[in-house]
Amino acid sequence: MNISSPNTTAQTSKLVDENIGFVRRIWRGRIWYGTEWYITVIGGLILLGVTMMTILAPVLAPYDPNEFIGAPFTPPGRGQQALVSRTGENPVPSASEITDEVVGVQRNQNGVNLAKELNYEYERYQNQEELLTALENGEVDLIFINQELVPEVLGAYPNLGVVDEKLGRSYRLGTDNLGRDISSRIVWGARTILGVALASALLSSFVGIPLGLISGFAGGKVDRTLSLVMDSIYSFPGLLLAIALAAMLGPGLLNVAVAISVIYIPTFYRVVRGQVLSIKESLYVDAARSLGAKSSNILRRYIFPNVIPSVVVVFSLNIADAIITAAGLAFIGLGLPPDIPDWGYDLSKGHSFLVAGQWWMITFPGIMITLVAAGFSLFGEGLSEILNPRLVK
Amino acid sequence: MTNNQSSEPDILYKIRKLVVEYHTRGVVVTAVDHVDLDIQRGEVLGLVGESGCGKSTLGKALMRMIEPPGEIVGGELWFDGTELLSLPEREIREYRGSKISMIFQDPMTSLNPVQRVDEHIIETIKVHEPETKKSAALERAQALFERLGIQKRRLNDYPHQLSGGMRQRTMVSLGLALNADLIIADEATTSLDVIVEAKLVDQLEEIRKEFWVTILLITHNIALVAQIADRIAVMYAGKIVEIGYVNDVFLNPLHPYTQGLLQSVPNIKFDEREDLFKMPGEPPSLSDPPQGCRFHPRCPHVMPICTQVEPQLLENSPDQLVDCWLYQNLPEGYESTIEVEK
Repeated sequence: MNISSPNTTAQTSKLVDENIGFVRRIWRGRIWYGTEWYITVIGGLILLGVTMMTILAPVLAPYDPNEFIGAPFTPPGRGQQALVSRTGENPVPSASEITDEVVGVQRNQNGVNLAKELNYEYERYQNQEELLTALENGEVDLIFINQELVPEVLGAYPNLGVVDEKLGRSYRLGTDNLGRDISSRIVWGARTILGVALASALLSSFVGIPLGLISGFAGGKVDRTLSLVMDSIYSFPGLLLAIALAAMLGPGLLNVAVAISVIYIPTFYRVVRGQVLSIKESLYVDAARSLGAKSSNILRRYIFPNVIPSVVVVFSLNIADAIITAAGLAFIGLGLPPDIPDWGYDLSKGHSFLVAGQWWMITFPGIMITLVAAGFSLFGEGLSEILNPRLVK
Repeated sequence: MTNNQSSEPDILYKIRKLVVEYHTRGVVVTAVDHVDLDIQRGEVLGLVGESGCGKSTLGKALMRMIEPPGEIVGGELWFDGTELLSLPEREIREYRGSKISMIFQDPMTSLNPVQRVDEHIIETIKVHEPETKKSAALERAQALFERLGIQKRRLNDYPHQLSGGMRQRTMVSLGLALNADLIIADEATTSLDVIVEAKLVDQLEEIRKEFWVTILLITHNIALVAQIADRIAVMYAGKIVEIGYVNDVFLNPLHPYTQGLLQSVPNIKFDEREDLFKMPGEPPSLSDPPQGCRFHPRCPHVMPICTQVEPQLLENSPDQLVDCWLYQNLPEGYESTIEVEK
């Protein structure tokens, strides 16, 4: 019992004072910040994941995102082929010989006559069944079938046998209508969307923060004029303004970023101006003035650093917004040129094939947009509650 | 300074007819109304008064730090032979910090939370003496901190890591960093607990003797004034109503407001259990001050003239000025007895 009270004090002081590393300090943060801490860390982890994805895109992406690499509409995890022949026969070309030549050629669910690739004289077979019958009748010697159909085919045609299997590429997330690998497009698309969102948030903060600082600090006519301009931009529906600007500027990474950044300038402006107005009245600004500091110095060294915490929060939330807006622009076809892999573009393409049952084209980009936007939102909200608890109340 | 007491005191700051107004929503509030005040070199002048009587505004006006919606409407500010109100903003900045500095009420918020303490001091020095090297400025900061009894290593701390007393001493060190002639302490000890306050007051005393600075002590703590001030100025509703040496004013308060103020000070002797004197009425609204003497609605000695004509701040006895008709010759046509108005 005697020990317990010094022990607890030792523990609390340990939490505060101990010289621990950065990561462990963050881990300790959960004790003080509770829910906000978890929210922030979850958001942070999502962001970390996406950032790693953008950095490691060349390593992570299995294929070129723009190459028509496989059969269109290959479902997720599929795409590999098996080579089937009649049992007991030793077909003329060996599997290893034809694999290099054949795999990668577009082939659809119905299968393509192998003879074509081998420069044999061929007959056109309308569907897989005809092809299998032809094989059975000895019209062709070898055919490709989809890997996952092997047990079914072997069940129906007992005298056929697999010569070689798991040939060629598989597509973890399937392929789109042009046979491009969706997983590669997701990985490279992360670069695009983060680039656009970051660029637009940076652009709007570069414009919005200085304007807010000047407006709040100078007051008077400058403040009124700037506020009027910003409020009129703010009163536009955001997406509508972005659409108009994007249509005006034309496609292109920078153009989309500019179009999006314009609608977020007022957000930065308002937050910064409000902060400046309150910080301007604070005692340490008065004290700095009483010590003879210049106005520019007060703005730079006393007001601006104290505005940063709220700017960080707005920045993070704005990126989340910008991602959704960028995707929205791409969805209606005002986004990037088609050779840049983009989630929003994939989403709009996938949308038209959803009815036909090709759900994977729209699902994965959709999940990623939601995930990344949520990551930035969670991170921003969590940070705002940690950095400025007064905002919540 | 000459050793022999000259009959004419050495006046550091001469304030003449200073008027400060705040303009808000069409209402004009005269926070400082035609104030005349002389601050002598090397003295501690205590400026006391109720909350909202214009003490802090006066203090800020002395540095020309009145921000909109406030405005210095008129008067003259002679600091050491220079008229400050006619100087351009660029030159007045030279005075702030190096000649006049200010310590604020709340030490918790008067330091920039994102700057280390040493950066504050170094910046202050560099603003006024750009040629000073950073290392030299740091040495001066260290010397100041040691002088004020704070460990040198605390210079590396951020303000939130310091206690209230330490922060207030840091503010004092900022004032001393450039050997300011006048330190305006605006309620500097109000938010400190009594022990820390006593320590700071002691240090202010020491500093005054050592650096020969003049201190304008703005406070509502009468006991503090009694302890360290040489002279006391009592302010009421934007006007100085009484000035004099502390001993004279405390022993013989002339203005009824001063009398009431001194009686309102709580007494620590519990066995004397007198009821605390409460001054009747409320301080007047500065946007619409009463006609005549501003204290007349609350004054126990009110005369007919008080309701109509403003008295002047005039010398009653040597070195004791008072702003009250009780001690002045009435203009003709006024009686010193109370009459029922018709």
